[in-house]
Amino acid sequence: MRKFLGKRAVASAVSLLLLIVMVFFLSRLTGDPTQLYLPVDASLEAREKFRELHGLNDPLMVQFGRYVVDLAQLDFGDSIRKARPALDVVLEAFKWTLALALITMALVTVAAIVVGSLAAFRVGGLFDRVATFFSLIGASAPDFWIAIVAIVLFSVNLGWLPTSGTGTIWHWILPISVLFIRPFGLILQVVRGAMITALSSAYVKTARAKGVRPRPVIFVHALRNGMLPVITVIGDQAAGMLNGAVVVETIFGFPGVGKLMIDSILQRDFAVVLAAIMVTAIAIFLMNILIDIAYAVLDPRIRY
Amino acid sequence: MRSVYARLLGGIAAFAVAGPVLAADTDIIIALNEELEVVEPCMASQSNIGRVILQNISETLTELDTSNGALKGRLAESWEAADADTWRFKLRSGVTFSDGSAFGADDVKASIERTLSDKLTCEIGAKFFGGMKITAEVVDDGTIDITSDPAQPILPLLMSTLTIVPAETPLEFTRTPVGTGPYVLSEWNAGQSIVLDRREGYWGEQPVVTKATYVFRSDDAVRAAMVGTGEADIVPLINQNDATNPATDFSYPNSETTYLRVDNTIAPLNDIRIRKAMNMAVDRDAFLGTLIPADAIKATHMVPPSTLGWNKDLAPLAFDVEGAKALVEEARAAGVPVDTEIEMVCRTGNFPNVTEVCEALQQMFADVGLNVKLTMMEVAEWIQVYSKPFAEDRGPRMVMAMHDNNRGDPVFSMFFKYACEGVQSGICDADLDKMIADATAATGDARGPAWSPVFAKVHNDIVADVFLFHMVGFSRVSERLDFTPTIATNSELQLSQIKLK
Amino acid sequence: MTTSVPRPKADAEPTAVRAVLSMLWADKFATVAVIFLAVVLFCAIFGPWLLDAVATKQNLRGRNAPPFDFTRGWLFWLGGDALGRPLLARIVVAAQNTMMVAAGAVAASMVIGSALGLIAGYSRGRASQIIPRLADVIMSFPSLLLAVIVLYMLEPSVTNIILVLAITRIPVYLRTTRAEVLEVRERMFVQAARVMGASDTRIIFRHILPIVMPTLLTIATLDFAFVMLAESSLSFLGIGIQAPEITWGLMVSQGRPYMTNAWWLSFWPGLAIVLTTLSLNLLSNWLRVALDPTQRWRLEMGARKNG
Repeated sequence: MRKFLGKRAVASAVSLLLLIVMVFFLSRLTGDPTQLYLPVDASLEAREKFRELHGLNDPLMVQFGRYVVDLAQLDFGDSIRKARPALDVVLEAFKWTLALALITMALVTVAAIVVGSLAAFRVGGLFDRVATFFSLIGASAPDFWIAIVAIVLFSVNLGWLPTSGTGTIWHWILPISVLFIRPFGLILQVVRGAMITALSSAYVKTARAKGVRPRPVIFVHALRNGMLPVITVIGDQAAGMLNGAVVVETIFGFPGVGKLMIDSILQRDFAVVLAAIMVTAIAIFLMNILIDIAYAVLDPRIRY
Repeated sequence: MRSVYARLLGGIAAFAVAGPVLAADTDIIIALNEELEVVEPCMASQSNIGRVILQNISETLTELDTSNGALKGRLAESWEAADADTWRFKLRSGVTFSDGSAFGADDVKASIERTLSDKLTCEIGAKFFGGMKITAEVVDDGTIDITSDPAQPILPLLMSTLTIVPAETPLEFTRTPVGTGPYVLSEWNAGQSIVLDRREGYWGEQPVVTKATYVFRSDDAVRAAMVGTGEADIVPLINQNDATNPATDFSYPNSETTYLRVDNTIAPLNDIRIRKAMNMAVDRDAFLGTLIPADAIKATHMVPPSTLGWNKDLAPLAFDVEGAKALVEEARAAGVPVDTEIEMVCRTGNFPNVTEVCEALQQMFADVGLNVKLTMMEVAEWIQVYSKPFAEDRGPRMVMAMHDNNRGDPVFSMFFKYACEGVQSGICDADLDKMIADATAATGDARGPAWSPVFAKVHNDIVADVFLFHMVGFSRVSERLDFTPTIATNSELQLSQIKLK
Repeated sequence: MTTSVPRPKADAEPTAVRAVLSMLWADKFATVAVIFLAVVLFCAIFGPWLLDAVATKQNLRGRNAPPFDFTRGWLFWLGGDALGRPLLARIVVAAQNTMMVAAGAVAASMVIGSALGLIAGYSRGRASQIIPRLADVIMSFPSLLLAVIVLYMLEPSVTNIILVLAITRIPVYLRTTRAEVLEVRERMFVQAARVMGASDTRIIFRHILPIVMPTLLTIATLDFAFVMLAESSLSFLGIGIQAPEITWGLMVSQGRPYMTNAWWLSFWPGLAIVLTTLSLNLLSNWLRVALDPTQRWRLEMGARKNG
């Protein structure tokens, strides 16, 4: 185990380095922040002054060297737009994203496994049909529809919940509900599929034929067998959420990392883009390590 | 067990309603469309920063009265021209900053130097003081001489943009702005809200609003809904599609002008007949009340009608498909390559319905026989085709843009858009350059009449661009407040002007 | 897909087709799904050719015409858009671009992702270490940034949108395939095949891939919706496919400002996305049963009952 973790830590660090190099150079191919920062009427001298001030005139390699030297001292650079350390900006937003992702994914995981298993138990039955139908509609409908309709219904018409913002736990209900729907639909389908396969596999059939009771025992056996793809897809959905839930953040005014990332990319605020990618990447890498450990725990035959 | 449960629920409920219950009637909530990136006074010319800071936290020497275009004193009581390039300002006495220090001439001098400094990139400096050198000299604590090179006849107007900070303010962007205004920044919760509290010791009249909380919601529909649910009192910007309730929704001219910047140097756009044909091809009336709000005005100028020197004799070329077709054919006969594909560049999110407006324009141009291709771009890409330097190998191209001039003087528009050296100019005309230079230097009563012929030359003689509309914006204001948005609402939102009903 | 009873080759094919059709008929939901997908495919191939002219005809003074107004001809049954163009015609025409982008991106990411996943899961060498880290990198690379980079360096076009969306979707297939392969390669029958001297290629394609495939198909069908909506949000931000081109995703995002006062602008194209996804999923669920020898009885029994 220790050997595995050591190897993974090294490999992940190399991946992170690769990611930084790629993002640093590729993002700079997408244009110069100068004209976006200054008013359109700014003179050519003003633009020149701005580039000089922010070191944008130096050769790319010099800029990269400077970035790496600063990074080695844990200085992620300053946001041009916000005139303060990029890492502070990112961490402020990331704590919201992390909370939203953790809560939502925990609910999704439990709900999808329970509903998916029940659906698989009687394939083609009423429960299966209804669960599949609604979860698929939810998973493929544009998320801003669901968000706006929910706000109009629960906030504007019924007045039960605040439309948007943060502050009380009531503010979390709508964003989490909207965020819940898509991963729930997808994971439910994967659970259902995996369970159908597992339940029809030889040894579960044997167990059923032998009359192993109660049902939960069968469930747990089958579940354990079909769990690998399920965990993988849960991880993929969680990674998506750690990258930010843009629509939910935009509509509900939730100060997460998704909108921050988009704004920084569109405004070419490179220090924030890099810091945000590094923070989310580290979270995603850690999660993937946990997932690989989970594989080995669930299925002792698996070796890396 | 049961009581634990009940207590828990009770706690949650109390937690949930705590905000609204504690709020006083005179506390208001304002929903902005974007979070402020900085709360730096020298960036207050950006509209969302201005709406929080301008005249609430930081004040200026002079202030433009948008109702009549007159300039009135704010921190300056009076001003006069000392000589050709120097203005002398008499400052208000008894004014203090929110940190308790007294306001004086050295603060004004320091503010000017800070705003124009090389060490900071202040938008106010880049936007209003480009291409000139400003020096300030303290005469005594209540008097300051401000000199500009070249001479600026509108220097007092320029000073209505420059926010005054204490002389000690460091040469870096501040997160705790100190100003002479009636409010003080008391809280900034990143991503969530900014809170201004009314302060004691303001030199002017005590405003009614005691506390203003600014929250940020990017989604138009949500922002508009917040007034109805009681979560906001003022939403300075709502989408025209949502502005359906006459009791709460106000339209106001927002000093923005939309137009198609035409590159006059490349065939077939270098032919005046083609440019006239394009102007005649646009059915401006069809846009009004459909894609563009009904209150918008068909444009003939780069500046809104309240601007100095506005030329009321100008009228848009009438919508005339047949006439436009005839002009195109005439140009074709004269050897102009009228079938060349012309690129029309629009920017996503530039103003509400921009995509639809551009698609409709493309159709209208096609109807008169012009081959126009629409390209939608995001802002970074768009700005590269809008501003100079233009690409050497470019084809014929026009760019949809929206220009804001809320300062009441054409100088903030005409040089940039029409002089040979103008950063967004698609034309170069020696006569026009001279006229612009003369009007820029004109003073007093001669200034308005000097600008009028410039507008006429651009619109009638050169037919440089395709002007579209002077736009309007929409605000939603809770019925409990007595506040009517004006043209100024686009750049500032003075809390002291808000009264309760 | 063959019947289990061997027959002379001459009439084997019609029988096979009939068997498949009767198995399809046994699942009414799958039947409806196949019919719907056939209609979409027809629109995608012939739509632009048949309706392009009417779909772009503007009428500013008749904008946002409400749906179910049967006096204006069938083109306006679903209402008109913000420029007065008939929504039904636009949805039909947009099917082509939409299907190209969605099918292209999903197919490309699934093929590349699962191939890499098979290698990563099956090999015990360096590939098994490097490929998953590649997936980590792609997962952490924001798709919007990738889109901005690709579309800045290359022209914005349908192909390049497919490229961007395909790259961002590779990790899910890669990681799912790898996870399943890690487990399947340890199973008894795979070990047995290996002992009996089967080649790696044979083991992968004959023994492992069929087990992994159903999960991949489930993900792929839902990815169809995801890709269409991702394309929609790229358009919304000014990157990706832009007017005057049309896709369902672009129509959905253009209708967004009208959500509260002209719902039909984004509802119909959104419904098209939902129905397509739903149909694909029903079809893939049916395929899963039909292709699995241990489950096929469900359909064959149904077919007999119906027959």
